[in-house]
Amino acid sequence: MKRSVVGLLAVTALAAPVGSRVWAQTRVPWIHVRVEEPRNDSKVSVNLPLSVAQAALNLAPEKVLSDGRMHLGHAGKGLSATDVRRMWGELRASGDAEIVSVEDKNETVKIARLGDRIRIRVESPERNESVSIEMPVGAVDALLSGEGESLNLRAAFGELQKLRGEVVKVDDKDTKVRIWIDEGN
Amino acid sequence: MLIKIGAALAAVPMSLLALVAATGVLVVDVREGGPAGHHFVVPVPLALAEVASAFVPPDKAHVDLGDARQYLPAADDVLKALAEAPDGELVRVDQRDEKVRIAKVGPDLVIAVTSPGEDVSVTVPISLARTVLGDLEDGQVTPRSLVAALREARMTTLADVRQGEQHVRVTVW
Repeated sequence: MKRSVVGLLAVTALAAPVGSRVWAQTRVPWIHVRVEEPRNDSKVSVNLPLSVAQAALNLAPEKVLSDGRMHLGHAGKGLSATDVRRMWGELRASGDAEIVSVEDKNETVKIARLGDRIRIRVESPERNESVSIEMPVGAVDALLSGEGESLNLRAAFGELQKLRGEVVKVDDKDTKVRIWIDEGN
Repeated sequence: MLIKIGAALAAVPMSLLALVAATGVLVVDVREGGPAGHHFVVPVPLALAEVASAFVPPDKAHVDLGDARQYLPAADDVLKALAEAPDGELVRVDQRDEKVRIAKVGPDLVIAVTSPGEDVSVTVPISLARTVLGDLEDGQVTPRSLVAALREARMTTLADVRQGEQHVRVTVW
């Protein structure tokens, strides 16, 4: 009897790490969107497993998105996807650096590459606004892997599966928006 | 002899009860507020509802979705992904006195809306929603398949609505 109890405990102890590893593997990435409007006493949180968000992409109207590709068409006024793709190709090769820095009396825009991340910061002290976007280089590559005037959102989502942490943060005097990815609800 | 007759007579309602229990019952429970408020409990055996639903004229079940029909497969993909996803709170909206919560709990989507004097909670089994979408692809909702899908939702409170002193609850047993 004692031997069988010891045997059972040994099997349980051996199985525990395997079980926890399986549990860790089944943790899925969740995308979280938090929007707060203190003036309206309003808070909205959306938490979706990325797999669900990816499936929901197909619900977008076909003229905007088809086969996981977003068509800019004339919506991308001024800057076409082809222009962005060409610029990105040049910027990508520059390595870690502040790629763009525009400062005027109302607004500061900074785009920098830090390792495998692209960081975009827009500050507007006059309007009490700040926008921060952080994207992995791979996600931008994937996003721009579409052809012509299309962005490949599906491929970008695939890259986001690997990302953890804050992706977008917007603070202005009326609204706060945060988008981040982690493995918990 | 009397015992045998009694046992034979009791066997009929007991068999019916067992049949109803085995095939499921939809119970609508309505409580009205106030001292003179009524309390109705309407049990509907699902087997009976399924038979009755077969008599619904096809034209009454027809739903014209127009262009929305093309999104049904994508909507089904979303539900499939949701069904496979872990449980958790999906949406939370707090605006002044109103609160909305949508969560995935096991095989169900639970939607709760709270506002002053009113609490509404709706449980939508994902399998039921997928059945409806599947039916809609054919251009009509088949009441019979809906009732059949309710069998998958047994032991679930589908709707719980409190408004003031009134309380309505719809449960599948």
